[in-house]
Amino acid sequence: MKELKFIDLKQCILDDNGHVADEVRELARQKKFFLWNIMSSPGAGKTTFILDVIRRLKGEFRIGVIEGDIESTVDAQKMQALDVPTVQLRIGGDCHLDAAMIKKALENLPLDELNIVIIENIGNLVCPAEFDLGANLPSMLLSVPEGDDKALKYPLMFSVCKALIVTKIDCLPLFDFDMEALKINTRRLNDDLQIFPVSAKTGEGMDEFIAMLKQLIANNLQLL
Amino acid sequence: MHELPFAKSIFHAVVTKAEANGATKVTRVVIEVGVLRDFVPEIVQKYWKYVTKGSMAEDSSIEMNEIPATVTCGDCQTVYEINVHDLVHTHCPQCGCQTGKMLTGRELRIVGIEIE
Repeated sequence: MKELKFIDLKQCILDDNGHVADEVRELARQKKFFLWNIMSSPGAGKTTFILDVIRRLKGEFRIGVIEGDIESTVDAQKMQALDVPTVQLRIGGDCHLDAAMIKKALENLPLDELNIVIIENIGNLVCPAEFDLGANLPSMLLSVPEGDDKALKYPLMFSVCKALIVTKIDCLPLFDFDMEALKINTRRLNDDLQIFPVSAKTGEGMDEFIAMLKQLIANNLQLL
Repeated sequence: MHELPFAKSIFHAVVTKAEANGATKVTRVVIEVGVLRDFVPEIVQKYWKYVTKGSMAEDSSIEMNEIPATVTCGDCQTVYEINVHDLVHTHCPQCGCQTGKMLTGRELRIVGIEIE
């Protein structure tokens, strides 16, 4: 019988991704841009929200976008219509973006000219939460029609985000969405999570969110 | 199916380590997975069989130890275990509050490998 040997590894399975995420963080620090990862389920309103944020920040900041989609370039076309440098990652069967994809995408953006790079992640509440992209702000969107109990169903996603943007609040009268219940549900695992109810359509809540974002960007870039 | 990319990463790390130790075969792999990762043991087995096919780790077993989720209470700092399948009834056993910061439950580690 052959000799069996057990080797202790204690190796993090996500080490490879983590190392690349660290490289991305270092690149952002050197090139002085704020990297913002936006995750959500499909249809939560990421594109509409991002377009509104771009319109509001365009005068003050130079923004680039990384678009992740299974197929198509429709979102990238919408960004480019606002004259924003955009890279479309068309990832086929994959269900998330990882740090290596972001590193590659960043090579295709004019980083010396940009202050903010927004990542529109794949619409999915499971896999995107598992991969550190090196972002300064990992965040998620939750739309009112999805319900206030999502944090109970996707705890990992809610535990890795620093900001939760509740979108489509203009729909609140149509749904049994309880904002207080949402706060309780999310803070069981992540009491640092900041929650911003907004409607990109009516503009409600956007000023408050933009004010927080500008402060965060200023703190990160030490511009102010 | 979110376990598949991890099965590939585990495979890559395991083979690299086994080869560095002069092994001809990997017979057993032990991993630790936080409960928030929502790994299904049967699915991990299935993907492990798939990614190891034709390699030095073919027919090896993969054991998954689950690490429970714990949080630090936002109010009194008590550390307590939470049931992620019943978060709605989760509260601090000390002060009863419902806020917390994740402490464990997101791990993804290879504990070790058994080689020949």
